[in-house]
Amino acid sequence: MSPPPTKRYRMGWALVVLVVAIVVHVLSVWAAPRLIMRKVFEGVPAASGTNRAFYPPMTSAESRSIVMPSPDLLYAIWTYDLAGGPVRVTASPGLDSYWSIALYSAASDNWYVINDRQAGGRPVDLVVAERGMMRSASAASTSATVLEAPSRKGLVLMRVLVSDYAKDSARYEAARRTFSCTQGPR
Amino acid sequence: MGTAQASPPASARRWKRWASGALAVVLGIALGLGSAWWAIRGWSLAGPVHTGAWSTSTMSGHVDADMYTRARVAVGGLLALSRDETMYYVARADDSGAPLRADCRYRIEGAPPPARWWSITAYASDLFLFPNAIGRYSVNGSTARLGENGRFAVVTGPAQPEGGDFWLPTPKSGSLVLTFRLYNPEPGIVSTPASLAAPSIIRIGACA
Repeated sequence: MSPPPTKRYRMGWALVVLVVAIVVHVLSVWAAPRLIMRKVFEGVPAASGTNRAFYPPMTSAESRSIVMPSPDLLYAIWTYDLAGGPVRVTASPGLDSYWSIALYSAASDNWYVINDRQAGGRPVDLVVAERGMMRSASAASTSATVLEAPSRKGLVLMRVLVSDYAKDSARYEAARRTFSCTQGPR
Repeated sequence: MGTAQASPPASARRWKRWASGALAVVLGIALGLGSAWWAIRGWSLAGPVHTGAWSTSTMSGHVDADMYTRARVAVGGLLALSRDETMYYVARADDSGAPLRADCRYRIEGAPPPARWWSITAYASDLFLFPNAIGRYSVNGSTARLGENGRFAVVTGPAQPEGGDFWLPTPKSGSLVLTFRLYNPEPGIVSTPASLAAPSIIRIGACA
């Protein structure tokens, strides 16, 4: 026996609410990190200039761009778009304390990181390429580590541990400014 | 005239159905957005793994994170490192389970964790740093004073503690979020993060 028309209508109405809610919920959760990263991709070049690394001042209460900043780290940031070709990331901080260079995808995942211990005192030399560029990037970069990026857009973040910035600012600034990113031809 | 007399009930029914359908869609969108925000807000880098007053997620920043973890990290801890590089433990309550308040004093005491370097940072509920007169936002492996027992002690609160304890200043109002970072943690902690002997957080006296 089928339910009366009014009851059927109400069940259909509730089903529409439920289906729309589930679809919007899943899409929102999936899209949130991508939309937040998109804001970062727009914000970093606006602060530093296109194709230039951003060297924010030492973190303080006035640092309100990205949540949970670490007050013990000095940062250098670069955003990339591999549509313009592979990106070469180099750095030679020359510090015996912790530093790292981390790569993030457009979905905000930390898909690669190298720190001072892993570098073993050698300069960092990375080439970030899309899947289709891997062969040419590998051929052109015999000394660099070639990495296949999971997304066309991404972000490179250098962290330098600072124990006393006021005392050693020149040393720390020199270390983080060895961080350089350049984009090569496709 | 006959058409004019017959059409109002039919058009009214159509309008009612259209409005009802639109209401269902709007309600669905509102429920979807609201439930998504409820699911991802307020977590920061906290997660299902607990030790003392602290909790962590082993998937923060990781490429294999599920979409909820990824969204929570993006909202409350964007650009976190994956667990092999750094582990993040978050506390929003003290050892008794009471929510942390910036206007209260807390004694945080523990042993340096098995990691290359560590820090404990005080954040406001918006997950940014508190302004304070001495420009101190954290205690870390370099600044912590270890006692003869090899343990460190820190006091948070709006007023400098007597007795020379390390002071982590907080404002006179609002809530407080503490983040314990472990850089290059030992493999044992990476594989079993609940095994960390996390610092205790005990409230001292009345709040300001």
